[in-house]
Amino acid sequence: MNSNDRRLPAGGRIDRMRPIGFSFDGRTLNGYQGDTLASALLANGITLTGRSFKYHRPRGTFSAGPEEPNALVTLGTGGRREPNLPATALELAQGMIAESQNRWPSLGFDLQSINGLFAPFLSAGFYYKTFMGPTRRAWMFYEHFIRRAAGLGRAGTERDPDRYEVRHAFADVAIAGGGPAGLSAARAAAYAGADVALIEQDFLLGGQLLSERSDGEAAAWLKAIETELAGLPNVTVWRRTMAFGIYDGNTLALIERNDDPVVQGVARQVFTMLRARAVVFAAGAIERPLVFSNNDRPGVMLASAARTYFNRFAVLPGKNILVATTNDGAYRAAIDLAAAGAQVTIADQRSTLPAGLAAEARRLNIAIRSGTQIADLRGGHAVKAAKLAGPGGNSEIACDLVCVSGGWSPTVHLTSHLGVKPVYRDDMNGFVPGGLPAGHFGAGSMMGRYSTADAIDGGHRAGIEAAAFCGKSAAAPAPARLDLGEAATDAFRAIPSTGRGKAFVDFQMDVTTKDIELAHREGYESVEHLKRYTTLGMGTDQGKTGNFAALSAMAALRQETIPQTGTTTFRPPYAPVAIGALAGRAVGHHFKPIRRTPMHDWHVANGADMLEVGLWMRPYFYRAAGRDVNEAYVAEMRMVRGAAGLMDISTLGKIDVQGPDAAIFLDRVYANGFAKLPVGRARYGVMLRDDGIVFDDGTTTRLSENRFFMTTSTAKAADVLSRLEFLLDTAWPELRVAVTSVSDEWAAMSLAGPKSRDVLAAAFLGLDVSNDALPHMGVAEAEFDGRALRIIRLSYSGERAYEIYVGATAGETVWRHVLEAGATFGLNSYGVEALGALRVEKGHVAGPEIDGRTTLDDLGLGRMAAKRTGFVGDVLRRRPAFQAPNRQRLVGLESAEEGKRLRGGAILFIPGDIVTGHGRGRITSVTFSPELGRYVGLALLAGDVAVEGSEVLATYPMKAETVRARIVSPVFVDPKGERLHG
Amino acid sequence: MAEALASKDFTLSRSDCPIVQIEGWDGMLAQFELSASQMLGTALPVSVGDTARLADTLIVRVSPRRLWLIMEADAETPQPAIDPELGCSVHLGEGRVRFSLSGARVLEILSGCIAVDWRSPGAAPGRAFQTVFHHVPVLVLRTSETGCDMIVPRSFAHSLADWVADSASKRSSPGIKARN
Repeated sequence: MNSNDRRLPAGGRIDRMRPIGFSFDGRTLNGYQGDTLASALLANGITLTGRSFKYHRPRGTFSAGPEEPNALVTLGTGGRREPNLPATALELAQGMIAESQNRWPSLGFDLQSINGLFAPFLSAGFYYKTFMGPTRRAWMFYEHFIRRAAGLGRAGTERDPDRYEVRHAFADVAIAGGGPAGLSAARAAAYAGADVALIEQDFLLGGQLLSERSDGEAAAWLKAIETELAGLPNVTVWRRTMAFGIYDGNTLALIERNDDPVVQGVARQVFTMLRARAVVFAAGAIERPLVFSNNDRPGVMLASAARTYFNRFAVLPGKNILVATTNDGAYRAAIDLAAAGAQVTIADQRSTLPAGLAAEARRLNIAIRSGTQIADLRGGHAVKAAKLAGPGGNSEIACDLVCVSGGWSPTVHLTSHLGVKPVYRDDMNGFVPGGLPAGHFGAGSMMGRYSTADAIDGGHRAGIEAAAFCGKSAAAPAPARLDLGEAATDAFRAIPSTGRGKAFVDFQMDVTTKDIELAHREGYESVEHLKRYTTLGMGTDQGKTGNFAALSAMAALRQETIPQTGTTTFRPPYAPVAIGALAGRAVGHHFKPIRRTPMHDWHVANGADMLEVGLWMRPYFYRAAGRDVNEAYVAEMRMVRGAAGLMDISTLGKIDVQGPDAAIFLDRVYANGFAKLPVGRARYGVMLRDDGIVFDDGTTTRLSENRFFMTTSTAKAADVLSRLEFLLDTAWPELRVAVTSVSDEWAAMSLAGPKSRDVLAAAFLGLDVSNDALPHMGVAEAEFDGRALRIIRLSYSGERAYEIYVGATAGETVWRHVLEAGATFGLNSYGVEALGALRVEKGHVAGPEIDGRTTLDDLGLGRMAAKRTGFVGDVLRRRPAFQAPNRQRLVGLESAEEGKRLRGGAILFIPGDIVTGHGRGRITSVTFSPELGRYVGLALLAGDVAVEGSEVLATYPMKAETVRARIVSPVFVDPKGERLHG
Repeated sequence: MAEALASKDFTLSRSDCPIVQIEGWDGMLAQFELSASQMLGTALPVSVGDTARLADTLIVRVSPRRLWLIMEADAETPQPAIDPELGCSVHLGEGRVRFSLSGARVLEILSGCIAVDWRSPGAAPGRAFQTVFHHVPVLVLRTSETGCDMIVPRSFAHSLADWVADSASKRSSPGIKARN
């Protein structure tokens, strides 16, 4: 255990009675409850925390919040490994394992820091300029090495054992930010009667107040309002929760972290979609760094961060401290640190100093140098000295900590997500949100009001207004006053100081002032071009600390004002979000909902290999039929062709179509006519899209004058219903028709084969299933055990076949009953592989042919529509392009080479063609035909070469195969239809 | 009714859910409603999401022209005779399953399943609403402050019940626990 030698003996918001053990780069260390990982590292004297992205320069903790560009760590091991997390935003937890990133073999000795020697060659755009040759594929070779050399942390490859959740929540008023403005807003909105959700990314409320003394008036105010909020039942406080985006409908995307591995069983992260009626943005502001040579050395830190580490975490981050500033705020850090015994020097770029603060500083023996800025820093793994440039010339002072403050940038990210353009305010030299839409309110430093008193007042007003927007207007007493004496100072534009060393504007992406100058010289002047050329702001921190300095630099180069130069667009997420959190529990078997047919359990219990078909689970084949699918499906096909087979077809879409105008409706939605379909008969139908392309096919049975029973393909069930509803609602609202999905109502099974009639007769005694009573395309309504039974004689396989429909709750019972009745006829079940193969033999088109590109004529179904007009797709199906002679149309193919197989997806050429490109067509479906003893397939082939009897070459590049195939009729078995009609 | 999950503060049971859907034609709605009301012997719910109780039957207006008559699992299914000039009816007695959920953790558990503002008037006890649960359309009947029924397609019932049970078997994160 380390000694926490930088930890002060008292003070701070840590619990010294609760030590916490953790490790960093294998070193066992300790901190306390209330620490962040960064504060604990600093307390242990660890100032080198990372390596930079490109140059592998040593970096230290720079901030005390989520804006951290340097101290990025990888948390956890194995499947729990999570890279690129800012140590400054990680609540320390017992057993936490963290490691630094982008270094080898160690953080202290990183061989790739040699990149720094080649820095003059590694400017913006270097890789793209240098590694594009000598061939077009050269980049593919270099990329691997470049990405290894430059980068962040590595994600784990093992399965993450932790649980993540996605949740939904609602509130009247959501408040983003738990600082003084947010707290005040929450209090006011709650008193006004609104349900309030207060969101704070930190594990403590208070925001900047946490940087004040833990025993001062700010702490007392904070404690009082926390107590007050805890007593308001309509306030929900979300600590450890980052609002990483806001979307339409006032939907805030939140990530709540739980990094404590001790708390077993709870979700590690929860992604919540919080929908609010009104939103108060109180996200605060982020301090800007100063730009000077070697401003990235470990030991350079934002002044506000140094103050936070001192007051909140009781860590004195340095003993010999230089505070470089352009504003009054940094004086408060200097004063606090000096009061703790540090030797402090202030270098203020301004010539006119704040009288009161300067006097107080001098009283604490702080040396103040006005009109002075840092020219350069000395030190490698830790800063050792600073070279100052001032009115009296250059000088050097020794230091172990450099606190910098270049002013503040309001955190406008969330409002930008909604398209609210930030607007520049000259008086504060920064961007604030532009006009907020109705129901959105802002408060505090995010709106450019930097004093605590203003933040509290502004928050109170925003809270009241937000509640009023929700119709809640009860009286809200004014909040207690808290004036910390901050006074607005005139905006001062920091002057970049350049020397021999690199002056960074974006620490995480290693973007320097020279990169900005280069981008300008090469014409990448627009901020959007600048961003992409230099990668400015494209790191995981989105350039939170660096953007403004870069914009200022580009504005100066373009001799424009900052608003003329503009700013880039902030997009979600505000901070990195783990993919696991977005997925929540929708992983593994919950990845998507699974649909089970009424006979599902029977299939599983009887040796079916189940296959995912969309969301459905269907029996692929049965183990009893063969050792694998290839053996089984052939055996199952033989069974159907030779005797009878039973197939679960419950997955078909089923739609009840009713109404006096139902026949007219169907006549319009199908390409073939349905108005004259007699009651008790079924018909195969094809629907087209508006553009004349085939949409879906199926059968529809007329149950009565005004009622039809439609079936669709399994894949298109939802689409067809949606389409029918759309047409009724928009195109033909005058039609008295109702369409209702009854897909889940009916269990369905197909009984097919020459013995199917015998099986049917045996199963349903008393039911006349003779050819006269129940012909092909006929329907019989009956009962089984008091339950409605519907039998429609339809065939997909080409054999005599019957579709048996029964209520879903009786599905398995009837299934078992039919199998039992058919056992003596050789009946058994078969799976979808055999079903698909049977339909290929019969030449029936299905999904592979109805692929969203084919027309009726392509599929050989043109005569179904014949001279009909007035149906959906009628006009555009007549387009000349659809009549082109070389348009691909359906053909049958059979292997012309003994023992060779055809493959689905094979590309078709004619002899003499150069075998390259897309060819003249493709095989869409293929099967081994036990009836013909060879492979047969359906194909779409250019009409001008699709001559029956001629040969094509079927090439399959994946296996480097080419097989000669003969063009034949797509109907391979029973072309006259004798089997199904008999 | 099958008890799928029972714990101290949460119970999930599932049962069959006989439903008869009746629907009026556009332009004939007033006559249809009058006829249906007389046939059922009670006033129909006025707005989408409104419900009316009639003995073992809950009448729910699921869309402007469509009502569901939802029966208890063992109740006799009515055979409403709708004049085809006014509307139609269809039995949906086999295709849906009712999840009955109750207990102190119901709302917390369901917050991980569906996006519903339980404080809104539209989700108050006695109200019904349609929403999506893991991409599946469901009808939710709010039965009490700490209870609701969810009517789900039968083919999805196993998968959705599994999701609810999984959600209920885990503890909430500390933050969520604090909020609830």
